[in-house]
Parts: sequence; structure tokens; C-alpha cells
Amino acid sequence: MNIKFSASVLLLFFTQIFFAQNADNGAKLFKQNCAVCHASHSDQKLTGPGLKGVFDRVPKPADEWLTKWILNNEKLIKSGDAYANKIYNENNKAAMTVFEGQLSENDVKDILAFLKAPPPASKNTPVAQSDNKQTSTAETEKSKGSNYLLIFLVIFVLVVLWISLRNVRIALQNVVNVKTGKPIYEPQSIGDEIKEWLVKNNRLVFVLSLIIVFVGMKSCWDELWKVGVYYDWKTQKGYKPEQPIKFSHKIHAGDNEIACQYCHNGVEKSKHSGIPTVNICMNCHKGIQEGHNTGKAEKAKIYAAAGYDPSTGKYDESKANPIRWIKVYNLPDHVYFSHQQHVVVGKLQCEQCHGNVKEMDVIEQKNPLTMKWCINCHRETEVQMAGNPYYDRLHAYLKEKYKGKRDVKFTVEKIGGLECGKCHY
Amino acid sequence: MKKIKFIILSAGVILLSACTKKDPNSPGFEYMPDMYRAVGLEYYHAIEVDGDTIWGAQLPPKNTIARGYKPYPYPNTPEGYELAGQNLKNPLENSEENIKKGEELYTKYCIHCHGASGQGDGKVAGKLPGPPPPYTSAAILNLPEGKMFHSITYGKGLMGSHNFLSVNERWALILYIHKLQGKDKTETKQDSTASKLTAKK
Repeated sequence: MNIKFSASVLLLFFTQIFFAQNADNGAKLFKQNCAVCHASHSDQKLTGPGLKGVFDRVPKPADEWLTKWILNNEKLIKSGDAYANKIYNENNKAAMTVFEGQLSENDVKDILAFLKAPPPASKNTPVAQSDNKQTSTAETEKSKGSNYLLIFLVIFVLVVLWISLRNVRIALQNVVNVKTGKPIYEPQSIGDEIKEWLVKNNRLVFVLSLIIVFVGMKSCWDELWKVGVYYDWKTQKGYKPEQPIKFSHKIHAGDNEIACQYCHNGVEKSKHSGIPTVNICMNCHKGIQEGHNTGKAEKAKIYAAAGYDPSTGKYDESKANPIRWIKVYNLPDHVYFSHQQHVVVGKLQCEQCHGNVKEMDVIEQKNPLTMKWCINCHRETEVQMAGNPYYDRLHAYLKEKYKGKRDVKFTVEKIGGLECGKCHY
Repeated sequence: MKKIKFIILSAGVILLSACTKKDPNSPGFEYMPDMYRAVGLEYYHAIEVDGDTIWGAQLPPKNTIARGYKPYPYPNTPEGYELAGQNLKNPLENSEENIKKGEELYTKYCIHCHGASGQGDGKVAGKLPGPPPPYTSAAILNLPEGKMFHSITYGKGLMGSHNFLSVNERWALILYIHKLQGKDKTETKQDSTASKLTAKK
């Protein structure tokens, strides 16, 4: 009796372990073979339909039908199975891989066990709210503006106070005058009084006006330097426009470690680094449909631009409408600049000109892009000639030219990087 | 009268002070904007002509192709996939240089989903509803290279089209993926010599 009981307990225990192993193995197999096209425990449509509630949808007995379908869906469709054909047509006739030969029936059983098991705990943990930061910086900028207003308000109040106190003084003087029988005091106009004061203190006025004129000229001069420059040297702040989509470089290039070149893939091939087409966005966002910070709102803008309907998983080109990104780094039209030249031959890193983009939620211009800035870099940067066959001839020529001279650095300047025609033509 | 003058003056001063405040959405003052903003079409840049928007990113005119462009003959259908698997062979030599080029490309264009070792464990893969299958899984280990090329060109499953990579870049990537799969070098070398022969035919 006892032995029987313990044996049955053991059996139960082992079967449970066995089933758990089944589901684990199924999870692994699902990840390897199915997850590319199917979401396991949700109804999100990827290439194929989501598998939540799949056992209720398919013809009964569900396990048998699903096994047939998974192993060879082509055969099932050709055999005229009504539900198989319905599914095939509903999903734009995108053929599912035939797994016969790759998966055994036991493998399929494991996968089905995994699908029946409760969904694995979600790995996603919310990322720190980056939007809050954006609003807080906006608030500090706002408070700066209100500071100016406050100063003007204070000045305004002081002026009003001065005028009213002056009137009170005159009125009090007149009350005294009436009582003592003196003639009533006729006040000067405010303008006359100021004029009198100015004439009395003419030296002070002269010095003050000189100071005002010079300060004014200096600030005018400073402002002129800022014409067409989107960057402030003093505050180290640059042009930081709000983009049509709240795209965060911090999340994409920083947290997810996507290489800059993945999206800006023209950088090694062309003058422009390139703004990614919406096709590149869709490479990931076909699957990632919800953001931690912005939810579905910003993703909906991508889908609108691509003409993509996430509920059906279909593109409609006639509805596609390009996103109007705002250009931040803008060189004037009369300057020639090539990304390819700087990145491929010059081997510059993106960060050298664009700052630490991996930390930026909203992209900001981090360098002034003035001619002085370009020239400075050309004067200081040494050309890495070793191991770069592009420079072989030039290097031999320069070695000959500077023979016997010490401490010669082959900077960009030495290879003609300061010539006008290099950039302006 | 005097009061009105005073009000106008103070309003003017306040307005001026508002000008000095920096608006992050404004690039600042541009003298002669024509010289800052290209009049000609630049990459992904729109200009308005008579109320129409003309975009810098456009399809080539009909019946033309870009210089050096070779049309890809297999359509994005299951039949095309099979045909590509049968007919396409890697034109690149399985050399160290090409594999290195493939590795460079892989770290830029693939690694964030497929992971450094090709196990489908990149940083983005964890956020996708389903991570990409490892290169060593049964389905992919024996995949003909033509099918791989077809998948990179058109995309497959969750993966999108990556045809912004040139044809040779895509083949170099496939060489590196073979290396990640740990495929025997001599075997693939024979393949590449075979492909050379077929190319000569």
C-alpha cells in the first residue's frame, strides 16, 4: 500500500518534471523556429497571426490539426482543408515554412505544450522617463524668460512709485503752503525737471552715455557674430528643434547600441550621411509597436508615414507620406562637405563633430560649424598616413619635401586642407 | 499723449527683450537664407514648387536604372525564394579580406538584433516580440546561400529589407555568417570555386 502510494507520487512528480521540460524545450524550439513570424502569447500580428487562443480557433481536435499544419502546411492547404485555406488567404498568401524533416512530431508536441503553458514573465522593465527631462529643461528655459519679465516689472513699479511719491510730495508741500499762507507751489513738468538734472550733472551724463554707447556697440558686434551660427560658444548650447516624431537617439544608439551607420547608411558612400527612410524604421518597428515612454502615439506616426496598418500587417503605398524631419546640422550651400571623405579616408568618429549623441534624447547641434571651427580642426588633426594606401604617393612626396626638418606634423593643412578651393567651388 | 508714448515705449522695450530669448526651435537669424538653405534638391529634403512638394528622395524615372545597378531577377515570392536558393552563388572569394569586410558590415547592420555571435541575442532582439533564430539552428545551418541573399534583399519574417547594402556587401556578410556558423572553410572554398566555374560558363 505504502509502496504503491509513494510510487504513484513519484510518478506524478516525474511526469510533472517531464511536462515542464516539454514546455521548456518547446519554448526553445519556438524561439528558434517560430518567433520570427508569430507572437506566442499575444494576438499581435507579425508576419503570421498571433497565437493567443489558437487552440480555440482551429478545427478540433486542435492538437492533431496543428501538428499537421506545422509539419507540412502546404500539404494541408492542397488537401482542401477549409480552415487551412482560410488562414492562408487571410495572411496575404504568405507561405509558412514546411517543418517536416526539421522538427519531429515530439518537437511539435513540445511546442504545443509551450503554447498551452502560461506566458513567460515579461522581461521588459520600464526605462527611466526621458520625456520628463525634456519638459523640465523646457521649464527652466521658460523661467529664464519670466526672469526678464520680472526685472521689467520691478523697473515699471519703481517708476510708477517715483512719479506717485513726487505727486504726494508736491501735494503735501501745497497743504503746508496753504496753511502757512505762502503762494501755491507750481510744479515743473517731469520732462523739465529731468532736463534740469541732466544739465546740472553734465559730466556724469557724458560718462554714462559713453558707457551706454560702447556697451551697445559691443553687444551689437557680438550679435553679428551669431548671424547664421546655430551654436552659442558661451552657453555651449546649440540648435535643438522639436522633431515631428519624438525620436530619441539615447534609446536607439545608446541603450540599444544600434550603430549610427545602420540608419545613416549613406555616411560611407556619399556626401550626406542620410536621413533614414521610413523603411529603416519599419525594420524594427514592425515588431516593436509600443514604446516605454511614448506608448503607441509616436509609433502610429511611423505607420502613417509608411502607409502601414498594424492591425492587418499590410502596406498601402498610396497612403505613405514622408516624415518631415528638421535638419539640424546645416552647412551653408556655398560650402562643400563630404561625409564619405571624412569618415572613410579621414577615419573620423561620428562623435567628434556631432557630440555624444548616445546621451541625447533630442538631437542638438554640438559644434558651431563655422569656418574657424573647420580650419582649426584641419590645422590640428594629423593625417593617419600609415596603413592607408590612399596617401602612399602623397606621403612619399611630403617626406621628400620636409627632409631634415624636425617635428613636422603632417596635418590636414600640410596636404592642402586650407586651400579655398577645397571647400568653396 | 504722454501716457500713450510711455506705454508704447515700455511695450517696445519688453518686445525687444523677448527677441533676445532663445527659442530652441529657431535656428537663429540668417542673413540671406538662400545661401544657407540649398535651392537645389538635396538628400531627403523637400522643396515647394508652385504649391507642389518635391522630395529629394525619389524613385528613378521610369525605364531608367542607376549607374552600376543590376536588377535582381527573383521576385519576392515563395517561388522566387526557392529559385534564388537554387541558382544564386556567392561571387566573392572566401578570403580573409572579404570575411573581415563582412565582419565590419555585420557589426554595423546586423549585430543589434542577431547578436555578436549570431545567436539572436542582440540588444534589440529582446524588445522584439520574437528574437531572430540563431544561425546555428537546424533551419539556418543548411540554408543555401542564395536563400540567405534573397532574405537580406527582401527581408524575411520580422526582418525588413536591407537592400540598401550593395550586392557585394550582402555577399560579404554571408561569408561572415558562414564563419559564425562555424562552417568548414574548405567546404565553402569548394563552393566558391564551383561558383567561379559556373560564372565562367
